[in-house]
Amino acid sequence: MSFEEEVDEIEAETILGGAPFFSRPGGKIFIIWLVFTVIGVLIGVYAPHHLLPVLHSPEGGDVWATVVVFTVLAAPVAALVYAIAFYSLFAWRHRSNDPDEPPPDAEPQRGNGPITVIWLTVSTLLVVVLLFWGITVWSAQQVVHPNALQVNVTGQQWLWTYSYPGTGVETRTLELPVNRPVQFNVTSVDVTHGFWPAALGVQVDANPNVVTVIRTTPNTLGSFIVQCSQLCGLYHAFMNNNGDVVTTQQFDSWLQSNGATPTAAAAAAGVSSGGSTTAMGK
Amino acid sequence: MTDTPVGIRQAPPDVRLWEVRVVTEPETSRQPEGSPAAEPPSPKAKPLGIILTFVVAFVAIGGVAAFFISQTYTSPNYPNGVQVAQSLGTVNVNGQSVPHVALRFQTYPDSTGSVGGKPVHPSGNPAWPAYGLTNQFQVPAHSLVTMTIRQYDSGGSLNNPWFAKVSGTVGGTATFTSPDGKTETSNHIDPDNVGHTFTMRSAPGVDAAFFLNVPLPTNDNLPNNQTDPDGGQYYTVKFSFMSGAKGVYAWNCEFPCGQMVASFGGVMGAYGFMSGFVHVV
Repeated sequence: MSFEEEVDEIEAETILGGAPFFSRPGGKIFIIWLVFTVIGVLIGVYAPHHLLPVLHSPEGGDVWATVVVFTVLAAPVAALVYAIAFYSLFAWRHRSNDPDEPPPDAEPQRGNGPITVIWLTVSTLLVVVLLFWGITVWSAQQVVHPNALQVNVTGQQWLWTYSYPGTGVETRTLELPVNRPVQFNVTSVDVTHGFWPAALGVQVDANPNVVTVIRTTPNTLGSFIVQCSQLCGLYHAFMNNNGDVVTTQQFDSWLQSNGATPTAAAAAAGVSSGGSTTAMGK
Repeated sequence: MTDTPVGIRQAPPDVRLWEVRVVTEPETSRQPEGSPAAEPPSPKAKPLGIILTFVVAFVAIGGVAAFFISQTYTSPNYPNGVQVAQSLGTVNVNGQSVPHVALRFQTYPDSTGSVGGKPVHPSGNPAWPAYGLTNQFQVPAHSLVTMTIRQYDSGGSLNNPWFAKVSGTVGGTATFTSPDGKTETSNHIDPDNVGHTFTMRSAPGVDAAFFLNVPLPTNDNLPNNQTDPDGGQYYTVKFSFMSGAKGVYAWNCEFPCGQMVASFGGVMGAYGFMSGFVHVV
């Protein structure tokens, strides 16, 4: 046996062999990893209930599921890093009564085939799963509904304004009818802003001279907040406003109270002239 | 294994790798013979070091936090102080008696000069316009506030014409009196002839429904701010609004009167010239 093989043998016996598994460093790291993983999974499952707003659209539900799945899948990976770091800091720290001042560097690890294969395979699988999941969720938001309500969103320092084409209505509150697909046409008149009605599960940058489209379908009545998600200057923190998901009739009335003609309001709200909702507006 | 160094064979089974390796290190890396050995650390040094580390970390983090807190809008150290609204008694609004207060405000084409010994802005800049003489106001909650603004500055076109509309005032209008004495009450002005705007909204979580926007017409008869900021001709814009719930509200100008990108840099990005806070108490 060569010198290097002898050293490897001693190292293997010291770290992995000899004692019962859970008394060895590998076993202790495994226990720490298990605890950290459980903590990470619990955070992934329960934290969204406290961190995410009440959702008002199916896209919001997709975002919720994405946050949970991504966090749960990332938990064991992050836990392994933290477990090794945590154990190393305490068990393998240099002690002041060590005879060597300081201890020499350890030998670099090279050419461990099984570890490399496991590492690359697991990483690739995780990335492919996350990519597939992300593209699926994103694609659902790209479906074009021909009768979608058009809302032009304009960001400027430091306010959002919303106009409803064909009605002449332009406001600073975002009013949306329930169960009606909405297409947001988002732009900015100055710097880059971030249009983020978090409760609707969509977010997109508002860029100057560019119109970016994002779609959603509000399905739950209630109020929500629109925030700016890009640091945009002095009053970025104040760049937020209320939004409401209302019934089709309430939306029709709201348009008229903001200056739309009854005909234009009915057309935008999807209400027939007799006051009943059209198929899209129901 | 006849060529294996003796040091490895004699090491106890639980010896660590570097302890094995050090036996095989060349002689040059060892402590020279006869040199004094390093003194063992004092037993008190370790806990003392840990305590000192925490103390230093606590002081450093606390100092940084205190600095940032002192820079927020909750700081009482405002340039030029706070203008507390003048009481005008009470007024009946929708069948309820509410306090009626008044505020006065000016816009200046540059932020130098002083009025009554008080600077327009403590950091005056001749290239930067400013609201003055303070950017901080205090009004009672749920009261009728009548604001009178003297507009001394020139202007131009808005980035977004929507800000030429009056929003959030009583009646949805403001009264505009030109330098030649003509008075008009309107819900909008020409979006291509705006000097500044007074635009106000609440801090997040205070009163999201509150919003106020009043455009101020452009004024081409600029005063000489160096000698008499209040000496020129001016537009008078008067309006009333109901203050919201208690809390902090931000106001700013939405006319692009600054520099750089979209003319919202420079003075528009510097706190206190074209921006400030209203403290509703």
